[in-house]
Amino acid sequence: MRLPWIVASGISILLVAAAVLDAVSGRSTGLAAAVAWGVATFVSVGLGLLVATRRRGNPIGWLLLANSGVLAVVGFAESYARYGLLGHPGSLPGAAWAVVVVDRAWPLIFVGVTAIGWLFPDGRLPSPRWRPWALAAALSFAGLVVCTVLEATPFGDPFADVPRPLPDVSDGIIGVPLAVCALGSIGAIVGAAAAVRTRLQRSSGIERQQLRWLAYAAALVPVAVAICLLEVAVTGDDGPIALAFGIVALTAVPIAVAIAILRYRLYEIDRLINRTLVYAVLTAALAAVFAAISLGVGVAVGSGSTLATAAATLAVALLFGPLRARVQLLVDRRFDRARYAGLQAVQRFLEELRAGRAAPEGTGEMLAEALGDPALELRFRLDGDVEVDAAGRVLEGPDPPGRMRTPVRRGGLPLATVVHDPSLAERPDVLDSTIGAAGLAIEIARLRVEVRRQLAEVEASRARIVTAGYEERRRLERDLHDGAQQRLVSIGLALRHLQHQVPDPAPLDAVVVEVASAIEELRELARGVRPAGLDDGLGHALRELARRSRLKTRVDATDERFEDQVETAAYFVASEALANAAKHARAGSVAIAATRRNGSLVVQVRDDGIGGAAPSEGSGLAGITDRIAALGGSVSVTSPPGEGTVIVAELPCGS
Amino acid sequence: MRVVIAEDQALLRDGLQRLFEDSGHTVVAAVDDADRLRGAVSEHEPDLAVVDVRMPPTHTDEGIRAARWIRDAHPDVGVLVLSQHVEAAGAVGLVSQGGFGYLLKDRVLDVGEFVEAALRVARGGSALDPQVVSSLVGGDATDGLAVLTEREREVLSLMAEGLTNVGIARRLVLTERTVEGHVRSVLMKLDLPAGEDAHRRVLAVIAYLRAAEIQR
Repeated sequence: MRLPWIVASGISILLVAAAVLDAVSGRSTGLAAAVAWGVATFVSVGLGLLVATRRRGNPIGWLLLANSGVLAVVGFAESYARYGLLGHPGSLPGAAWAVVVVDRAWPLIFVGVTAIGWLFPDGRLPSPRWRPWALAAALSFAGLVVCTVLEATPFGDPFADVPRPLPDVSDGIIGVPLAVCALGSIGAIVGAAAAVRTRLQRSSGIERQQLRWLAYAAALVPVAVAICLLEVAVTGDDGPIALAFGIVALTAVPIAVAIAILRYRLYEIDRLINRTLVYAVLTAALAAVFAAISLGVGVAVGSGSTLATAAATLAVALLFGPLRARVQLLVDRRFDRARYAGLQAVQRFLEELRAGRAAPEGTGEMLAEALGDPALELRFRLDGDVEVDAAGRVLEGPDPPGRMRTPVRRGGLPLATVVHDPSLAERPDVLDSTIGAAGLAIEIARLRVEVRRQLAEVEASRARIVTAGYEERRRLERDLHDGAQQRLVSIGLALRHLQHQVPDPAPLDAVVVEVASAIEELRELARGVRPAGLDDGLGHALRELARRSRLKTRVDATDERFEDQVETAAYFVASEALANAAKHARAGSVAIAATRRNGSLVVQVRDDGIGGAAPSEGSGLAGITDRIAALGGSVSVTSPPGEGTVIVAELPCGS
Repeated sequence: MRVVIAEDQALLRDGLQRLFEDSGHTVVAAVDDADRLRGAVSEHEPDLAVVDVRMPPTHTDEGIRAARWIRDAHPDVGVLVLSQHVEAAGAVGLVSQGGFGYLLKDRVLDVGEFVEAALRVARGGSALDPQVVSSLVGGDATDGLAVLTEREREVLSLMAEGLTNVGIARRLVLTERTVEGHVRSVLMKLDLPAGEDAHRRVLAVIAYLRAAEIQR
């Protein structure tokens, strides 16, 4: 458990010791390389320690530590050799051996990175079939180191004059093994690339993202090396550019490996790759434009002109914006099909939306199509943490198994949740940018869903109020009949009984008649509240109504039963229409019809009166119209002068 | 006459009991729900059961259902159903079978006519509330009745209420012979069988009105 710390401490001590030796010896040449080397080693040690302590079971941490250990040993050996041979000759023992390490152990530098390539990210070979090849690769490296150490060629600069501390082995003996091991070592490096490629092809999810990090870093190394060499070639020495890109080349792989293993979600690797590509192409294109224009204008007006530089700068500045968009599109189309197609689909949808050819409620389906997940669901989040679909239906219960949720936020407020296939999370940039582009549509859709739900809520409560009103009428009617009316009958009976016991029963007769008429009035009152005949159905109640009417009234009503509030509302329409016909229309006869038609109860009242009735006239019908509307129905009044009045009420009554 | 009363309101139940007893009849049982009514009828086999339509537990049509049960289980027991309001639907059908009456509750205040109707039902006759009859006969809707004169229509209504010729004569202050003439005329005009049996005649009239009612 302490081992990683001990190893890291040892490496750090080596680094510090090398720096001290360099300072003491007053080293002046190859300083940039030495600093790059030191920084890279330090970074590598830190990352190795981090991975080795955080992911104990994973040998990648140890590989990083070993890699930095090699770098540290080689760096220290150089400083040691420089001090002991060049700075203060003869002052240090074994300085010649240090030169052997510096000059001949270079293949070891590639071992760590190559092994990471073979074993990344889980510390195992891609498959057991790779085992013999891995063994061959290890033997090649080992053989190569032995061969280079034993090789009789003199050391390179600045140690060309240092005598070899080893016996010379003739080329005849060492030539063939050296060539074989060198080829094997190159094969090992190629094999590492092949391993990464193989894994990348068959990987998915997290592993795929991890491998993308490694591949990205690996691709960066040759570019950085090329830039270093370019500076050396142009200026003749390694300067700050070589220093910076040297550090990049040496640390890119360890950094990428550490990020991939510890925090593969730290940055969006795909977006990083995408941006790198875009800006590389953009830089190259703008540099070409700059060079072409300054060259062209320079030829025209004479070289060294500031005009040429200004024109070229202006052209580059003007070109930057549009060119960037074009290059981004090009890169997306060529290298990032998913992102390109997704954003295009959202863009098309937004245009349709603006043109009024698409409804915002279609956003969910659009996203499903744009992201290539037909089962994708867009769930709107309303107040009170309620989730609803585009139709306003409340979604409860657990999510479908194996789905993933991605929240949609705007201005910090949760708007909706996208329930999607987990594979979409492998490309968080595509998911986020597609959802982000559709943000406005999602917000509009959510508002519309919310308004519709609230309206439905209000309508439902209005219907409940009306229904409760009818329920109240029924209760009132019961109370009148079974309470007050019964009591009056009892009183009447008591009076009759009393008559048997008094000498002159006659005066009580008048009282009983009063009681009887009170009962009759009460009965009429109760009928106005709610006709008891409705208990036997609408048809029955309507026939009863017709019988009591002064007008000649025909009833053609279905005997089908409906919900109580529907029957009651229909009854009062007919009752009110009949009363109007008798009161205002001067009608001779009325026809009442009640039938079921297309899921509605249709009540029609037609009279042969003078017509000309305005719908607003007579607040009785207006109030009833409101109640019918509350139950989701409608009332129409047709009343041309001289042609009678037709009132039609339609009440939804289920199928 | 031996009577069973079923009425859930105690005051009214007592009032009815006193009414029958004041008129010299025997109330053998006075109960407050339909189940006890069935038990009392089975136990006492009375001449008449007076039944309230709305009784516990639901206060809807317990009385009508109990009445049907009595008609089936004890055909000799007359059933007089009392209601707070005109609920013609079930009642007219039952009345047309005879031995059955359907009256509004406040008819009890006219003690004489009420007891007369009760006696009629107990003897196998019928009694239909004047309000029910007038809703059957009334209005211009019952086109078939247009052939009758005003007086004949009056006679028809009283026939429908269940009254005998004697009863009709007394009510209309006519001689029995005149009433007989009107009755013959009504039956002929409506093409109804003219029989000596008053009950059957009443039933024919009610059946006729009911058929007319259904056609509307």
